[in-house]
Amino acid sequence: MANFIPTGDGGHSGWRASVQKFGGNLAGMVIPNIGAFIAWGLLTALFIPTGWLPNEQLSSMVGPMIINLLPILIGYTGGRLVHGQRGAVIGSIATVGVIVGTSIPMFLGAMLIGPLAAWVLKKIDAVLDPVTPTGFEMLIGNFSLGISGMLMAILGFLGIGPAVNAISDVLGAGVKVLVDTGFLPLASILIEPAKILFLNNAINFGVLAPIGAVEAEETGKSIMFMLESNPGPGLGLLVAFWLAGPKILRGSAPGAIVIHFLGGIHEIYFPYVLLKPIVVLAAIAGGATGVATFAATGVGLVATPSPGSIFAYMTMTPPGNHFGVLLGIALSAAVSFVVAFFILKATSSGDDAADLDAAKAKSAEMKSGTAN
Amino acid sequence: MATISGASVKNIVVACEAGMGSSVMVAKMLAKQLKAQGVAVTHSPVNQLNDTAHDLVLCHRGLGSRAKQAVPGSVVIVFDMFLGDLRIAEVVSRIQSGDDISDD
Repeated sequence: MANFIPTGDGGHSGWRASVQKFGGNLAGMVIPNIGAFIAWGLLTALFIPTGWLPNEQLSSMVGPMIINLLPILIGYTGGRLVHGQRGAVIGSIATVGVIVGTSIPMFLGAMLIGPLAAWVLKKIDAVLDPVTPTGFEMLIGNFSLGISGMLMAILGFLGIGPAVNAISDVLGAGVKVLVDTGFLPLASILIEPAKILFLNNAINFGVLAPIGAVEAEETGKSIMFMLESNPGPGLGLLVAFWLAGPKILRGSAPGAIVIHFLGGIHEIYFPYVLLKPIVVLAAIAGGATGVATFAATGVGLVATPSPGSIFAYMTMTPPGNHFGVLLGIALSAAVSFVVAFFILKATSSGDDAADLDAAKAKSAEMKSGTAN
Repeated sequence: MATISGASVKNIVVACEAGMGSSVMVAKMLAKQLKAQGVAVTHSPVNQLNDTAHDLVLCHRGLGSRAKQAVPGSVVIVFDMFLGDLRIAEVVSRIQSGDDISDD
């Protein structure tokens, strides 16, 4: 029934499912822990020397949280995804080795060693379980975890920590070059289309947030948190669909605007773009405008805003940065709206299939009361 | 392709990437509509679908192949819009009327 959606069909593109799956696993380690990121972000925004209420004692929590707590939570969750509670425990142990081996926030290292350690333990358990004599389960279970945990922590300390440190240095230097040369807005050319393909979490939590965390630990804020999560481009698109989209889509656009911009669920606008793939150009233009504005005004966020709602953005904005952040969001929304509006007006004929299907959807919606 | 009778659907899982954002929203809307039928609607990350007890899985088309990969034996209905989707509305009405539901 949905032949009019050229790029939305996950059924024929194995590579995308694979990338999504990989990214989903990365995001799966971070997203359940976002509450901890927010607690850390709030402590940072409030109590560091440049914060709203500078307080030396309370701000002493900021460092241990980002250096120790957050990576351990990621390693814990990554281990749990692979091998349940035992995987979570060994993932946490091994993550400590990675943390101590370096001086930067080890999100990437935790994402590697947490699942790896759990996988190793899973293999060990598979060997030991069948040969464990009755009554020795607890003894063998505890010591197999303890010994392999110690070894994985040593591996993390000697191997993975330094390796990820080197990778982070290269990534950070690369980003710095992009920022200094003014090429950072070009990142939107990759990020915006990838978002529409549901790679948003993979990009934000798998790539951008770990780089941003290193920068935020040093300077108190980072623009990397804003590249994917800016709600401006989606807002502009949805307003354009509301005013100039295929007629039947217009009805649901206002609700989508609220959910997207205030609720921060960006997924809600992806289907609109999938219906009119060329509109992704508007998202790219809006995204690049936003990044350019953020870079030009020198603003950043203290932590990753999740979900990408305007409320999360305002909360994670350090003092003095609100003007630049709001300006970037407003300009990106305006640019994406203008481009999308123009595209939708120019291509408004030939929508019949989409209109027809959407019309059916609308009538079905009326019948079943989905509109609630 | 798998089929299930709408009358026997008692557990629906809505899947999304993280299992905490759009799936929660869609699950809430569905739960409201299917309250009278006594259908439980929960949410899950698409990668962890096979850990869930479900009669029916719903997810966006962009994640459809991964959902089918995760639970090949289950009825996986893909939808296109998060608000006012035709397939979701059809699933709801088929559960209400007890007609068969199949993923094709």
